[in-house]
Amino acid sequence: MSENHHFLVQQVGKGDKQALAALYRAYERPVYKFIVSRLNDPHEAADILHEVFMDIWRVAATFEGRSQVRTWIFGIAYRKVIDVHRKRSRVTVTDEVPEPVDVAEAADAGYAAKQEAEHLAFCMGTLSDDHRSAVSLAFYEDMTCAEIAEIAGVPEGTIKSRLHHAKKLLLHCLSGRLKGRAVA
Amino acid sequence: MTRSRDEIELDLPFHVNGTVDPATRADIDAWLAEDALLNAEQTALAEIRAAMQAEDIRSPSDFGLARLMRDIDRAAPALPATGTVAAAPRRAWIWQAVAAVAVAGFVAQAFWPRPADTPAPGGYQMASATMPGALVVSFAADAPESAIRDLLLSQGLEIVAGPSAMGFYRLDRVDGGDLNAAADALRAAEPVVESVENAQH
Repeated sequence: MSENHHFLVQQVGKGDKQALAALYRAYERPVYKFIVSRLNDPHEAADILHEVFMDIWRVAATFEGRSQVRTWIFGIAYRKVIDVHRKRSRVTVTDEVPEPVDVAEAADAGYAAKQEAEHLAFCMGTLSDDHRSAVSLAFYEDMTCAEIAEIAGVPEGTIKSRLHHAKKLLLHCLSGRLKGRAVA
Repeated sequence: MTRSRDEIELDLPFHVNGTVDPATRADIDAWLAEDALLNAEQTALAEIRAAMQAEDIRSPSDFGLARLMRDIDRAAPALPATGTVAAAPRRAWIWQAVAAVAVAGFVAQAFWPRPADTPAPGGYQMASATMPGALVVSFAADAPESAIRDLLLSQGLEIVAGPSAMGFYRLDRVDGGDLNAAADALRAAEPVVESVENAQH
């Protein structure tokens, strides 16, 4: 699979549109999901996805094969979304880690989240882009720590730390929302 | 158990997504067997991952592919193998300059006032003469599709032909309403629309 995609990128670099279409079919959905998870705007995400593949078309010839095609493509998407956030000068973020949460209770909250996708989406939306990216790549794409670190351009320890904080924030948020719902 | 609880906790997400190596997995499994809190956290993470993976999204799919195929025809060609990433903007800039000159030439040729009844030499007719559409419009290369769509819908316009080789679209009013007002609105939408001209029939 990986070698096949490497070949496709080489062909795209030579101007092969069909190879670009094949790459698009292979990666469109996961990359779009990754972008949506960070932007919460399907229309804007579709535009960014388009830009990602336009970039692939333009620079495929420079791909040297030192990374996997998947991490290369997700890396382009990762940086595109950062550009969007910069343009928006977006100030979101809940980087402050809350008080320690009752993990056993949070585990129940996590279980309930399976049926409460909107709570999960809400809580993901409260995370900073760095945290959300790490969670998205780890849990949507099941990437290794090394792959996520390569995409984000940071050491593996930073990714572990981001995931650790994101996890606490997510569990705290889910626990609070589900508790509130139970009270209501 | 060769590693501390803190180290194990940092690796939990990768235990959940199945990407840790066998030795680390064995270490984490040993901790999970003895630490109820760690076990609860692992369960919570696994449920979050399952919920995320179960999310159903509607991606652009074939529509996005059609858009991509259309736009790569309008964009600069893929870089040759000897190119570098850093060289890309310069190459794109050169192509944009070339395209701008070509567009300027096309606009001057297409819209320069000339006697309406003068037959073309040899009896030929401009291809555009038989094309539908009351307005000829070009959109900014970086205009998002959503902005274009919203603009056209707000003015009751639809694309009836295009894009041409030069990137021009021909538009008509859906309801046959005030075309001049729609044209003025397009001209005012500067970041999205680059040029607006009345079509020559």
